[in-house]
Amino acid sequence: MIMMNTTRRRQNHGRSPTGEQVLEAVDLIKTFQVRGRGRFNAVDGVSFTIHAGEVLALLGPNGAGKTTAIDMMLGLTEPTSGRITSFGTTPRRAVQNGRSSAVLQTGGLLHDMTVNEVIDVIASLHRSSGRAGHVKELAELTRIGKQKISKCSGGEQQRIKFALALLPDPDLLVLDEPTTGMDVNARRAFWDTMKRDAESGRTIIFATHYLEEAQDFAQRIVLISDGQIRANGPTHEVQAMTSGRTVSFTVDADADAVVSSLAQEPGVTAVTRNGNRIQGTTADSDALVVQILGQIGGRDVEVTAPSLENAFVALTGHQAQTGPQASTGNQPESEATTIDADGVR
Amino acid sequence: MNSTLVRIDLSRHLRDVMNMMFVLVLPVFMYLIFGNIFGDSDEAVGRGNLKFYIMVSMAAYGAAVAATGIAGSAATEQIEGWGRQLALTRMTPRVFVASKAVVALLIATAATLVLFGVAVINGAQADSVLVWLFCLIVIVVGSALFGLYGLAVALWFKSNSALSTAAAGLTFLAFLGNVFIPLNGTMLTVAKFTPMYGYVGLVRYPLTDGYNGDIQDPVWLLLANLVGWAAIFALWCLLAVRRTRERR
Repeated sequence: MIMMNTTRRRQNHGRSPTGEQVLEAVDLIKTFQVRGRGRFNAVDGVSFTIHAGEVLALLGPNGAGKTTAIDMMLGLTEPTSGRITSFGTTPRRAVQNGRSSAVLQTGGLLHDMTVNEVIDVIASLHRSSGRAGHVKELAELTRIGKQKISKCSGGEQQRIKFALALLPDPDLLVLDEPTTGMDVNARRAFWDTMKRDAESGRTIIFATHYLEEAQDFAQRIVLISDGQIRANGPTHEVQAMTSGRTVSFTVDADADAVVSSLAQEPGVTAVTRNGNRIQGTTADSDALVVQILGQIGGRDVEVTAPSLENAFVALTGHQAQTGPQASTGNQPESEATTIDADGVR
Repeated sequence: MNSTLVRIDLSRHLRDVMNMMFVLVLPVFMYLIFGNIFGDSDEAVGRGNLKFYIMVSMAAYGAAVAATGIAGSAATEQIEGWGRQLALTRMTPRVFVASKAVVALLIATAATLVLFGVAVINGAQADSVLVWLFCLIVIVVGSALFGLYGLAVALWFKSNSALSTAAAGLTFLAFLGNVFIPLNGTMLTVAKFTPMYGYVGLVRYPLTDGYNGDIQDPVWLLLANLVGWAAIFALWCLLAVRRTRERR
């Protein structure tokens, strides 16, 4: 009976009112000492505010500082300097109160435990044993409850961690590269589950290095590289900046003339030539393809979607993974979206 | 302490066949072999017989292996990322340590009682039930020293195979420390400085009052060995933690 009461209390508190500050970070810096590399800032002066009900993607290449940022959001590590609060208290306390929860990166489950054992242990540590059956259903684990973790596929292990994260019925759910190790079908199924879950009003922050995942699922994208925020805005705006596709084709004669006329076309940027092979980037690849096949008379047309690296080049004017100085040169104009020079210290 | 954590940890350790071989089967096996080579005459030793002496020695070895494995695996679990999973719950470090300590206590006690049971049937005798009881208590409490040993190895090398090696290494320390075979001369002098010597000496104390043949080890010497090695292992743990912190 007492158990029932505690479980009810957590289930009935309802979601935080929309607009409540879920997380606020000011000038976060986390410095690590790494052998051979000396000191470096994994997170280097990051500020952001996240409100209740948002679905936000933390997008960046490997080594950008996503996991370190997430660790600080959850109180798993303390910032070297700066301040972070979650639900008006420390991130650690928010986790202990069951308001924040997370699916951490692959690994982290003990291989000799069964699925049921993992869920029972974590449930009892959250004092939410009453929810164990419910989260197993949500994450579709009921059938494999007696299976050892070592026998579970990567996708199944991620679903187990998803179930663990739902045990406290959190208001904020943080997902660190949640689909790593999943095949295409598992990935799609995972995001379908997440979409349903987000409709309940849970605030969701997920880290990914897949541009598509961020575009398909997030309302807001925070682009991060070298520990700094490069862009922070609604998905459709960040998407507009990164949606330029690369179109390449071959012409049989007078390549130089084609290049110079192409460069005059509105919306076409970064035209390059390699022998008779011409390549251009454009926001409207369909129109360009029609033009190439018609007027220009090109052949062997190839259209490629933007990679995350291209997005970084487009957004920041410098290659991801290179030096920490953010050039403010080639950034597209946008009013609502802030290309964040604040991150640069 | 969290009873679910203890219950599931217990069943995990019992399922670990390799470790249970060292903790449960090997001490019983060695008791039966040594007990029947040396103890056949049921010759008297202190407040009991030779079989009792061999029994408590083997039990001390088994409890030491159990403590090494359980404390060490608590550390490697943390390193493998399970600690991050636990850090996302309400659990405090105190609950974690207390739960692991209870698991170690229960397994060491159970392993000792199994051996005691076999030995009762097989002819181990003592003058009083109190001798059995005191020996049991010293075996279980003293094995905490090897909990520190397992913790230090796991924190320093950060691998389960290093931990298994450390547990297996206890077999050598047991030979060196006068646990399995009675030593004499130079070997005995050397033995006094090895980590199992003080522990097993204290375990036998209710039986022998510290007598080792004609020579008596005073309690302070045995305690000094135990406390000294506890300090060394604890320091090793601290150094390992500091090294990890510095490296990130």
